[in-house]
Amino acid sequence: MTIPDLDHYELLELERDASHEEVERAYRMARATWAEDALAAYSVATEAELTALRERVEVAYRVLSDVDARSAYDAALGRLRPPEPDEPDLGLDEEEEKEELAPAELPAEIAAFDDLSGPEDGRWTGPALRRTRLARGLELDQINAITKVNPLYLASIEEERFDALPAAVYVRGFVSAYARCLGLDAGRVANDILERLTAVRPDRGLRRKKP
Amino acid sequence: MAALPERGGRVLLERGARGVSETWERATAASTPESAPRLIALGGGKGGVGKTFLAANLSAILAHAGARVIAVDTDVEGANLHTWLGVAQPRASLADFVAGRVQDPLDLVIATPTPNLGLIAGTHGNLAASQPEPSRRLELLQRLRRLPCDFVFVDCGAGAHAATIDYFLVGDDGVLVVHPEPTSLENAYSFLRAAFYRRMQLVMQKHDVRERVREAMDQRNTRGIQTPLDLLREVETMDPEEGRRFAKSMRSFRPRIVVNEVESADEIKLGFSVRSVCRKFFGIEADYIGYVNRDPAVREAVLAKRPLVDVKPKSDAAVYLQRIARKLAEAAKGKRAR
Repeated sequence: MTIPDLDHYELLELERDASHEEVERAYRMARATWAEDALAAYSVATEAELTALRERVEVAYRVLSDVDARSAYDAALGRLRPPEPDEPDLGLDEEEEKEELAPAELPAEIAAFDDLSGPEDGRWTGPALRRTRLARGLELDQINAITKVNPLYLASIEEERFDALPAAVYVRGFVSAYARCLGLDAGRVANDILERLTAVRPDRGLRRKKP
Repeated sequence: MAALPERGGRVLLERGARGVSETWERATAASTPESAPRLIALGGGKGGVGKTFLAANLSAILAHAGARVIAVDTDVEGANLHTWLGVAQPRASLADFVAGRVQDPLDLVIATPTPNLGLIAGTHGNLAASQPEPSRRLELLQRLRRLPCDFVFVDCGAGAHAATIDYFLVGDDGVLVVHPEPTSLENAYSFLRAAFYRRMQLVMQKHDVRERVREAMDQRNTRGIQTPLDLLREVETMDPEEGRRFAKSMRSFRPRIVVNEVESADEIKLGFSVRSVCRKFFGIEADYIGYVNRDPAVREAVLAKRPLVDVKPKSDAAVYLQRIARKLAEAAKGKRAR
């Protein structure tokens, strides 16, 4: 089959007035979607189609990420493709028959399509941190690369396996670093998590040695 | 006449909101006893991806929020929605309707331990004739639309049988449940294709166009029609009027994607990629409405034979389920407001 003759914006699923940041995100998302062995395209796209799509994505990105090239392209687009595209009229510009649900504006930005980050009831917990991390599209090893905190400790914080963590003073440091990495209020997150830790673990400062 | 449930549907569905948060109140306020229920169908082609899990939990969440909900198990060959909802041995089921022993599905509604949540089970089906005949199926779907409640959740079961697809198509929201693995995606795309073509076959009015749609359903058709987009081009060439009808119907086919049992940020992003594939390869707009993480609490819930949101309401997966339910409720509210 042939992928319709989409323009660069349509290919990257962007609005014409997309910002540079949106172009970057859409490009990353498109690369992941059409990657070799891409899971999402399994059974639908052939290798040749994926290769062709990747090439088109690269071209689109090169044009849209360059201010001058994009201006020239926009001008050409305005001239070449005014109202009627050379494709079957899907009538998608008409009123939608079925309502769109919680529109995903920016394909690569999970946080943008849904308010999936933040604590449920105003208090930070390990799972809430994990949800926020996932909503930012980050894996634990990426947090580790930035914070240098052992990924096992990071996982223990998320899963609230407090027995697997060192003394509270260290945990505060780990949680703060993790929270900063996610762009959160480090002090507030650390306070909430430490409160949960001390509720189940008797130490408040250094971990007590067993008698 | 089969034994009817101890509490008939009419008794069960007396309105009784309790503990409704403001958000939920807003989300469900538009539902009035006079309006038709919002029908939400869960399909996905492959078995074991979590359709029943989602049906049970989304139903329970909305019921807890004060909406009157009926969950319907149409998976008569592999029914277990009743188990998820804490009903060990349903006294009545869809099989009674299929066999003609019961005429009104409302008489099949059984109470569940979750307040405001009724169940039409899918147990003890006749293996020789598990799904209703087409005319009976139509009657069932029409009657489901008239159930006196706010939401009807239909667990479509696995496979792409015409009946399974019809249950999916009739939904106001057709939720496509996928697992982040190739087998699930393969079946999900087949299911979507099958659903789409069936819909078009039902919508097209001219015999030769319907025949062309039927031809396209064979993946090895000689005309090279591989996708809905190819078929649209073909139909437009054959008959512009039917082409317009086709395009219009295409717009109202808008599956909602849920990725279940995600374990990483990459797996979460998969939903967006699936949406892109639907758009570029099928010409179908889909919405990615959420994901549920892999959570050990789910196993605890299934062992307890109750919805996760009842057993572990604070668990990670329950939080994600709440968010999906909220979106569906808000969509229903939007629809009713129009």
